[in-house]
This record gives sequence, structure tokens and C-alpha cells, in this order.
Amino acid sequence: MVAREDDPTSINDLLEKGLEIDKQALAAPVKNAVDKFKLLPEFLKVRGLVKQHLDSFNYFVGTQIKKVVLANERITSKIDPSIYLRYKDVRIGEPSMIIDGVTEKLTPQKCRLSDITYAAPIYVNIEYITGSHGSKTTQMKRDVIIGRMPIMLRSFSCILYGKDEEELARYGECPLDPGGYFVIKGTEKVLLIQEQLSNNRIIIDADKKGCVQASVTSSTERTKSKTVIKMEKEKISLYLNQFSSKVPIMVVLKAMGMESDQEVVQMIGRDPRYGELLMPSIEDCMKEAVYTQHQALEFLEQKVKKLPYSTPDEEGRALRILQDIFIANIPVRQNNFRPKCIYVAVMMRRMMEAILNKDAMDDKDYVGNKRLELSGQLLSLLFEDLFKTMNDEARKTIDTILAKPSRSSRFDISQFIVKDSITVGLERTLSTGNFDVKRFRMHRKGMTQVVARLSYIGTLGHMTKISPQFEKSRKVSGPRALQPSQWGMLCPCDTPEGESCGLVKNLALMTHVTTDEDEGPLISLCFSLGVEDMELLSGEELHMPNSYLIIMNGLILGKHRRPQSFANVMRKLRRAGKIGEFVSIFVNEKQRCVYIASDGGRVCRPIVIADKGVSRIKEHHMKELRDGVRTFDSFLKEGLIEYLDVNEENNALIALYEDNAKEGTTHIEIEPFTILGVVAGLIPYPHHNQSPRNTYQLCRMDTLIYLLVYPQRPLLTTRTIELVSYDKLGAGQNATVAVMSYSGYDIEDAIVMNKSSLDRGFGRCIVVKKLAAVSQKYENGTSDRIIRPVREGYEAERMQILDDDGLAAPGQIIRPHDIYINKESPIVTRGPVTSPLGLPDSAYKPSRQTYKGSDGETPVVDRVALCSDRNNNLCIKFMIRHTRRPEVGDKFSSRHGQKGVCGTIVQQEDFPFSERGICPDLIMNPHGFPSRMTVGKMIELLGSKAGVSCGRFHYGSAFGEPSGHADKVETISETLVKHGFSYNGKDFIYSGITGEPLQAYIFMGPIYYQKLKHMVLDKMHARGSGPRVMITRQPTEGRSRNGGLRVGEMERDCLIAYGASMLIYERLMISSDPFEVQVCRKCGLLGYYNFKLKTGICSTCKNGENISTMKLPYACKLLFQELQAMNIIPRLKLTEA
Amino acid sequence: MEGVSYQRFPKIKIRTVRDDFMKFELRETDSSIANALRRVMIAEVPTIAIDLVEIEVNSSVLNDEFIAHRLGLIPLTSERAMAMRFSRDCDACDGDGQCEYCSVEFHLRAKCINDQTLDVTSKDLYSSDHTVVPVDFSDSSTGFDNTENRGIIIVKLRRGQELILRAIARKGIGKDHAKWSPAATVTFMYEPEIYINEELMETLTLEEKKEFVDSSPTKVFDINPNTQQVYVHDAEAYTYDDEVLKKAEAMGKPGLVEIHAKEDSFIFTVETTGAVKASQLVLNAIDVLKQKLDAVRLSADTVEADEQFGELGAHMRGG
Repeated sequence: MVAREDDPTSINDLLEKGLEIDKQALAAPVKNAVDKFKLLPEFLKVRGLVKQHLDSFNYFVGTQIKKVVLANERITSKIDPSIYLRYKDVRIGEPSMIIDGVTEKLTPQKCRLSDITYAAPIYVNIEYITGSHGSKTTQMKRDVIIGRMPIMLRSFSCILYGKDEEELARYGECPLDPGGYFVIKGTEKVLLIQEQLSNNRIIIDADKKGCVQASVTSSTERTKSKTVIKMEKEKISLYLNQFSSKVPIMVVLKAMGMESDQEVVQMIGRDPRYGELLMPSIEDCMKEAVYTQHQALEFLEQKVKKLPYSTPDEEGRALRILQDIFIANIPVRQNNFRPKCIYVAVMMRRMMEAILNKDAMDDKDYVGNKRLELSGQLLSLLFEDLFKTMNDEARKTIDTILAKPSRSSRFDISQFIVKDSITVGLERTLSTGNFDVKRFRMHRKGMTQVVARLSYIGTLGHMTKISPQFEKSRKVSGPRALQPSQWGMLCPCDTPEGESCGLVKNLALMTHVTTDEDEGPLISLCFSLGVEDMELLSGEELHMPNSYLIIMNGLILGKHRRPQSFANVMRKLRRAGKIGEFVSIFVNEKQRCVYIASDGGRVCRPIVIADKGVSRIKEHHMKELRDGVRTFDSFLKEGLIEYLDVNEENNALIALYEDNAKEGTTHIEIEPFTILGVVAGLIPYPHHNQSPRNTYQLCRMDTLIYLLVYPQRPLLTTRTIELVSYDKLGAGQNATVAVMSYSGYDIEDAIVMNKSSLDRGFGRCIVVKKLAAVSQKYENGTSDRIIRPVREGYEAERMQILDDDGLAAPGQIIRPHDIYINKESPIVTRGPVTSPLGLPDSAYKPSRQTYKGSDGETPVVDRVALCSDRNNNLCIKFMIRHTRRPEVGDKFSSRHGQKGVCGTIVQQEDFPFSERGICPDLIMNPHGFPSRMTVGKMIELLGSKAGVSCGRFHYGSAFGEPSGHADKVETISETLVKHGFSYNGKDFIYSGITGEPLQAYIFMGPIYYQKLKHMVLDKMHARGSGPRVMITRQPTEGRSRNGGLRVGEMERDCLIAYGASMLIYERLMISSDPFEVQVCRKCGLLGYYNFKLKTGICSTCKNGENISTMKLPYACKLLFQELQAMNIIPRLKLTEA
Repeated sequence: MEGVSYQRFPKIKIRTVRDDFMKFELRETDSSIANALRRVMIAEVPTIAIDLVEIEVNSSVLNDEFIAHRLGLIPLTSERAMAMRFSRDCDACDGDGQCEYCSVEFHLRAKCINDQTLDVTSKDLYSSDHTVVPVDFSDSSTGFDNTENRGIIIVKLRRGQELILRAIARKGIGKDHAKWSPAATVTFMYEPEIYINEELMETLTLEEKKEFVDSSPTKVFDINPNTQQVYVHDAEAYTYDDEVLKKAEAMGKPGLVEIHAKEDSFIFTVETTGAVKASQLVLNAIDVLKQKLDAVRLSADTVEADEQFGELGAHMRGG
């Protein structure tokens, strides 16, 4: 209004100009920046942080296990085919265990405490034939247990599913625990996400020699195989494991019925360049004189690998291989090889494209070509294998019984399904992590890991970890490099340092991993949307310039003349919820294909849909969300948000913010910081740091301390911290840090700490250790016993902490050499004993458990738990706690990859102070900044300082400044000035020692510091004399064995160079393993000392005439003897010294 | 050098004094004395704090060491502390806490019997000596409702949890452990002297003056609304941040103001934990400082000083 009064002409001006103004711009819909952040908590509410694991497991338990069982539903006897057993249904029950015939429900906590597996019975309904003496009747049995399936915590089958906080507390579970892991024999195990090259897809790449090849790893329920078609020396040939050598591709095509070369050329495309490339292969085939299908098959028959045990000259093996193993993902129905031929043609065409144009080569590291295997899929493989094995075993037993000529007892087939093999197999695989599935040629190690429980965030990070397919030793940079397609799917920061750098990855915050979806309805939908069936097309039509191929999960469906509109319709259907939200439709214009994917293991993420650059989410949607009338799912259902996988992202133009959206923008990101993972989200202002610093920090995250006494919420938080409720389970403290030099004990990243702060509880932590002992039962019926402690006598002192029951009491301070279980074992544990339970006291020998700890500690017995283990032995567990305050040498870290050890601890009065009376908790050397370039840490300090002065938590989310999720330095400085601080965060400081002002202003403020698990107490080690290794008589190695400190080769070299020969002599022999030997001067061999005759005797010369005594290291003597054992005689030639 | 006296007569002017807070000026001395006083207040004025805890029953969520640590940090009224003995050199006892000269015994007995969470606070500590009790923060003068303010929380108990313990408080100094430090904040600053170059100031426009005044993060200068003159509003608010000087320089008027720290006068701020009154803390600190000086003076001439002060002893004797 004001403007109008000031300038009355403006309207007229506008009206005049209005005719010239871009009308389109005026008509364009208004863009509004909507704060979409609220979607994230909603998303995480429905999804949880470990949804990928839970989804996968739920899918396995709900769907896949049924498929597996039904695919192998029948056990039929080979001898009498009318005798069979049929599985009708399968389901997983509640987690329970049968103890002494009573079914007892299990809770995860109970399993953890008593070292058992959290597993549920697998029930099947069976139909089978019983028979005796020729009469056969069909019988049904319900709920037969075939084994026990380990249950993932918080999955549908878990008792914790859908429980509220209070109920969880009653079960002894932490409400913040995400679940997603198993409890196997009392230990928590995660099945790591496995990264794999996607199955059933054509991948074009070059081999080591630079030959272009097209490969397909086929995987069906029945078989897995790898097919490679390679262009070598201009000839195209097929590599398949079942053939002993390469096979010309034309022969293969002929064997599949494509006898006409012209048809092949047509199928590949009539472009003369393709024809040229194909020519040598056709000639090759001619040379071999293969013209007909029959000839081709005969030719192949010779190439088939001879299996050692198979019957020779089995007819038609070549055809069978082509049918079942060669690109196994393409089914052959009624001997119709045409789909396979077309598939081969497509493979060849793509290969030739790549030869002509290197850009058409596929990138193996591209995330869209990857699949993530999750626990459900892995378990399903394992279960399938075990289930089949069990059925095979059952069949064998049945056959052997049936083969017996006379059977008297009633024959009951249901008795032969044993439940142990599945239970044991699953349990063993999960507890060792070694997947050894011969049926699918899978041998992988280290698939499971014990859940990292050092800190909450470590656990979360562990759940999102993706372990690589490659072995770590490969010296290639490709797979380790950051892939642009990782954007939003995999965290760019979170990867370990060292050998597995870049191979082990982590999921980003919003990533979803798909599960398999039924493709049947999708296929029929495609056909009804105008896809022309491949069967009806001639080879010529396949690659017509005006049509695109439609490929569904690697299967060529047919072609479509209007691919873009087809894709649009499919997408519309998806947005409308008519087809699954995770189905991806990807139009590849380069390959002239439309890829539709509904398979499991693809990574995808939710993105806001935009129409012509205008976000579909409006302010009123967000308001409804805030008011609780709307959920994340409703956004999805109404088509405001959709999931895009990596491939489909290529068809989208995604704007980071609404403002950046242009006419062609199809999508808008929800929040930019979601490209980071859970753990990376904890770093404040990571976008201001040098990127490796963030990575270092993430590696450090999981080495946080055990239990902090006074944990605090970081003053400078990020949105992610709130989302993952790290603020509820913090692992650090806000320390007031002065960035200055002090005392010289702060060089090389050391920090100086304030003693008073430590007195008041800064950095104090509790370390909990577990001691366990079993009261054994022996085979002869005897067992260990735990007896009352002796209260008098010389051992009474060591038994002080014992209660009358012979166990250490909680709350007692336990010192090294203290006895914590007063246990006795029977002397005779084998063979029959008259009365095993009433043994006299004399029949027992003490087998006390003594505590072996270092002297520096004074731990306290925290808890004592008694339980029975799997063999029904009494198992006693002691939790021992020790409260530690920081000491010189303990390691601390801020959240920016800046670790440092405590260099010295200084009295508070010596510490610098400001005129407000602020005295820092720790002093950090400013040299830590220039080379590390951790600007984020400086901003954290400023933000925290402003935070404490104004009483509001400040934010530092990654890339958060434009969207208001990170406070800008400018505003922070304003706050600081408002509260009387300098805008730059520096303070005027007095020296605590002299009282004089310091020469410089000191950058001072709170920074969130975390204590790391590396503590001096666990590491310090020294020894004088001590234990020695039996065989060499040299001092033992390692701190745990109280070992010596080695003078190694390099140290020795130094001493030699210096000429300190006596020191070498002393270190390497006198202090190590001196030994006196008798040497025969004549034969030069070692003799022995006869104590009766008091002379040395040479056992070779059989006399003691030429014996000299000398000293040498025992290891040397040992070497001589070992050489002698190998028929090498070492002779010593002695000279006078 | 002989006979020259460097004796000065420092003056103290008290500005504010409350039970736990005091602000005073210390003049006519140098930073070494001021700092010595500060250091003694923090680290060497004795107080009483719980030092030994015997736990009988503890079924709370916090473990024994945790509770013991928390008990130790509770400030106890320590007017008696100066007169008490350190338990290490108490002749009457062997330091087990039974002796009235060196220790005070406390008992705590709490059990939660209903569903409401029970806060065990410092008020639940029963002292054997009525002069040594946990500090009471319920300041009646502020008129706050005292139900809110039930002392320092030690632990929270839920139904069925119990805590019974015996604690012994002893005399100690902040040097040994921060729990014995009576000081929450002890700090001083040099008194700033600010001269405004009025002539130069008058060359500024009102706008520029405002800008100049606002350039200081703290409100040091102000403009007289009547005369439109810049005057020193609060010299002590100046934090030696040089902002105004830089501003003056930036305006092209160096020397607009001159700020010096007075080398011989200090403004002290003392805040206590409540263990002793702030005024008492200063007096105690002076006493302790005197005792320490006496110890130096007595042994200055003897060879003992060598043991006590090492190199410094020889130095003091003029070596």
C-alpha cells in the first residue's frame, strides 16, 4: 500500500508493461517453499531405522518360506511311489522352547542371559501315507515341528512386535533398541546386508584382455548359473561352466533351432555394422560344418564336460543344458526355445553396441546394477538347502526301510522328518557366519557379526552396514570410488578406513530396500497396456526404430510403440496405488528399452513429486501432518511422494529445493541431509569439514565408551540426532574448550584437562566385564559343587568377597587373586562311581575361580546371574563393573574426527579464566585446526556457545543452512553479541598461574566431546621377569600373557650399528633364554650332563672325553635338535675364547 | 637492596555482598596478590565434604560408586571447617570418622513404598552435627515455593527400591578434590580506565556516534539523549575486546577513545557453593594466605627451606 502511494504510476506502468510481460510466467503456478522436514520423523515412524532387515525377514516368514516349502512339497519313495509325504502348509509359531517336555515361551532377554537361541518352532501340516501289510491310508497331521527358526527381534514373529514402551520394559528390553538382529546362543548377531551384482540382468563389460562380453548371472528357484557371451578375436562365443571350452555362439543358436543365419542377422538388427561384426562368427560356424540343429547339438555334445560319476554318453545332455542352465532365467516352455534365442540376440546386439560405442558399456559399480541381499533372502536360501537336505535324508531312510524284504512294524512316514538338522543348521550358520550352501555354490564367510554394543549409535550403524561382494585384497579403485548413483541411497561419508575403505558402505537415512514382489499381475498389466508379445514378433520387428523393448525383471516381455506414454501410465498406476509402490519403471533411451523391476534388493528412496517444477506437497498437507490427521503413508497413497530406485532416478529431474525447480523438474528432494546415513548425521556441520575428517569420525563412532556416568545431549544437535533419538542416549559431554597452547603437554593433539572437571564427573565411565563359569556335570553322574567359603585360615583373605553360598556377593569390591566362586570338582569324573551324589569331601579337588585383573583397578561385582545352559549345567555369570575417571593417556574425541589423548591434568586454579569466571574443562592446541580444516568444529563451538547463552539448542544439520536446519554463523554471532560475547567467539582470558591477561584472545566455548574406549588402564604393560613359553623358554608375547617387550630386528640392528654388543648379548640371551649345553669338541654335537658321574657325555661318541660346556640360547639348541630330526646335522666347531 | 620496603597497603572496597555472592574492589596491589587470593579461594580454603560412604542397602538404579560420588559433591555448611582438623593429622582418632574434631557422620535411609517416584535429596541426609548440614538453597527471601526446592537430588527411587547408607564427612581442600572447593566462581578483572577524546568525538555525527556505541558487544558507552554526548555508561562492562578501538580505527578516528587497564586495581567476583558465606570465604582465604606466608617466613632462613621450597629456598636466602 505504501509503495502505491509513493509511486502512483507504478500500476499504470505495470499495466502497460503487462502486455509485454511474459504471460506464461504469470500464469505459472506459484511455487512455495514448504518445510518438508516433518515428513522425516513420520517416515522413520513407519519405517524404523532397521526396516530393511525387518521387512526382509517378515517377507521370508510370511511368504517366502511357504514358497520354499511348496516348491519341495513332496517326499516320494523311489521304491514305492505311492508312498509319499506332502507338506500342505507351513508357519512359524511363537518363540518358545521345550524344556523337559514343557513348552516355555522365550523372551529375547531370557535368551541373552541364559545363552540360548531366540527361535520359534516351524510348524507344518502334512499329509502322508501310512501303511502296514499292504494297506495304505492317507493321514493328515497338523502342526508338526520340523525345526526351529531363529527369530529376528521386532519382526512380526517376535514377541516384541508392536509392544509399547511399558511392555517392552517389562520384557527387559530397551524401548529405543531398533531390533533387526538375532539372538543366537545368547549372543546378538546381525546378518550384514550383502551387496551383489544384480541377477538376471545383462551386464556388458570388458574382461582383463579388453574383450567385450555380455554376462548374465541367472538365478531361479531351481538353479543358479552364469552365462557369458564374449567377443574374442572377432568371433563371438559362449562360455558356460557346463561346456569344457568356449562354444561358437552360432552353434548354440542353431542348436536352439535358429538354423537360418539370416534370421539371426535380422534378430540382431539389419544395421550393416552389426552384420560385419557377426560375419566372422557365421564363418566360424560354417568351418565347423554345422548347419542344422542336429549337427549343432552333436557338436555341443562333445563339448559337454564329462562328470566323473555320470553314466557315459547320456543322450541329450547338451539340449538339457541349453534348456535348464544356459540363461536359466528365461524359461523354456514346451521346448520353445524362441525366447532364449531372442534373449541371446539382445545380448549380442548390446554387446555389439558396446563394441561400436564404448559408452554403451555397463558400469559394474553403478548402484542400479547392484542388489542388496538381506537377512530374509539369505535365510531363505539357507532354509531351502536345509529343508531339501532333510527331505533327501527322509527319503533315503524311507527307501532303506522299504527295501527291507520283511517289515513287521507299522510304517509311518511322518516319523522320518527330523527336526534337528534344520535347527542345528540354521543356528550354526548364524552363529559362525559361514554360509556354506553347496546346492547354490555359496561359500561365504563372516556374514554375521556380533552386534556392536559399545554405543547406541554403533549398534544402529552396524545395522545399516553393507558388506561387499569383492574380497578386500583386490587392488582396484573402481569399486572403492564414490559413485554418483549412490546419491541419497548410500552414505557418502560412512566407510571404514584401511583395507575395506569404500567397499563397506552404509545405507543413507531414507533408503528403503525392496523385497520381492509378484510379477505375474504386472506382466499381464503390461500386456493389457499395449505391449506386443515377443512371441508374436518376427526377428525383424524386434529392433524396429520406432519401438522399445519392454523388459520385466530381466525378462523380455515384448515391445511397445509408445514407450514414454506406456511408462507414464505405469507410473500413474503406481502413484495411484494400483501396483506396488516399489515397482520401478525406467525408460532407457540409449538401449531403447523400458525396464520394469519388481525384484527384491533394489535400493530406493522417497522423493516428492513435482508437476512442471511445482511441488505437489503444499503447506496445508504439512499442516495436516503436524495436526496428526495425515501420515507418511497417506502422502504415498495420494501420490504426493513416491519411491524411486536408482534406475528410475535417471528418468527424473530432481531439484534440491523448490527454488531450484525449473519447468522440467519432476521431483523435489525431501531434505538434502538425508543423503547421509544415520551415523554421519550425528556430525554437526559436516559440510564445512574436509570430507575425510567426517569419515574418520564415523570410524570412531563405534569405538565410543561403554557407559558414561553423566551423559549429556549435545548443545549443537542435528535433525538426525533427534530422529534417531541419540539425544536420549548420548555418549558424550559438552566440554568448555579453550583453543590455546598450554604447558607443552598438548603437542600432537594431546589435550589438557581440568582436574576439577574430572572431580565433578567429566568423562567418568563405567566399564562392565562379564565373567562366567559353569558348574559341570560329568558323565558318571558326579558334578561340581559350590561350597561355603572358609572364614579362617590363610585362604580366608582371598575368600572375603564370597557369600555363604560360595559366590561373590554383588556390591563387593573384587581384587586380583580374589576367589569369586568357591567351586570344587570331583577327582574322578570318568567311569562308574558308587554313589555319584554322595561323594565324600575327600573326593573333591578345589577348582576355584579366581579373578585375574590388573592391579590398577578396583572393580565391583555388579550382578550375579544363575542360569542353566543347554546341557542343563548350572551356569554362573558375574557382571563386574569398574568406574573410571579419565587419566593421562585416555583418548577423547570431538565429533569431527579430531581425537586426542589427555596429555596432562591441571589444577583448576592454574587453568586460565575469563572475567566472567568461566574456566575451561579442557584445552586443545590450535595446531589441530589448520591442517585438518575442520571448520565445522569451530562453528560447533560458536553454536554451542550461543546455545548456552540464549538457552536454545542450536542445529547443525548437514546442508541445513538454506532450509533452516542449521544455524548460520551470522545469526550465531548476533546471538553471541547480544549476550555480551565477542562475535568471533574469542574471549579475553587471564592466566591462572600469574593472574596476568593472556596476550591473545582465546577461542573458547563448548564442544561435544566423547570418550573413546582406548584407555590407558587397558593398555599399560610392563614386566620384569615373568612367564616363559614352554617350547622355546623365551618370554611370552603380549600383554594378556604378561609378556616381555621384544627387542626386534630393527632394534637389534640399531644396537649392532652402535656397537653395543654386550647389550645385545644381554637382551637376546641372558634376559631371554640362556641355556647351558655340553658340546663335544670332536663331533660337534650336543651331549648331556650326567649328574651321577658329574661329567658331560657325548651321546654320539659314547664318552665324555672331549666335552666342553657352553652357553647358548635355548631356542638355538632347539633349532639344532629340530634340524637333526630332519636329518640335517648341525655341528658346532669350538675355538678357545 | 637491604632495608628497602616494598610494603603496600592494599584496600578493599566491598560493592555487593550476599550470602553466596560478593563483589569487591581490591586496590593498590598487583596481580600476584590478587591472583594468590583467587587461587587460595578456589583451592585452599577448607570445607567439609562427604569423603567416605558405607552403603548398607542400595537397590536403586545408580550403583554404589555413583551415589558416593554424588554425595561427595553435595556442599555442606562448613563454618566449622577452619577450626576442624584434617583427619590425616588428627591425634584423637585414626580417621575413621568417629571423632568430633575431624569428621561428621551422616545417615541416609530412604525407601519408596508407593507408586510415585521418590526423590532422595540432600534433605534426607541426617547429620550428627547440627552445624554441618547440607546447604539449604531454599531461599526464603525470593519467595519461591519450597515444595519445588527440596535440596539436591541424590537419586530417584521407584517402588520397592531402598537406600541405606552411612557417610562420613571430613575436612579437606579443593586442591585434593573439587568437592572441597568452596568456590563456584572466583574471578577478577583489571579495572578499565576509559578516556573519551571529546574533541574528536564531537566531530562525529549522531549516526556515527550510535554506530560507535553499538560496536561494543557489551554496553560500555551510551549517548546522553539530551546533550547527544557519548559517555562511559559502564566501564566495567568492557571486556577488553578492542571492538570499539577497531571501530574507531575503521571510522578513521584512531584515538577516539583510549582504554587502559589499571595495573593496580582489581574487581573481584566471588560466588560460593554455599559451604561458607562469600564474605567468610574471602576472610578465610586471607587467613590461609597469611598462614602460608608465615610458613615461608619462618623457614626462609633455615636450611629446612631447601627441603620445603627446593631451589626456591636457596633463592629466598639470597643464593
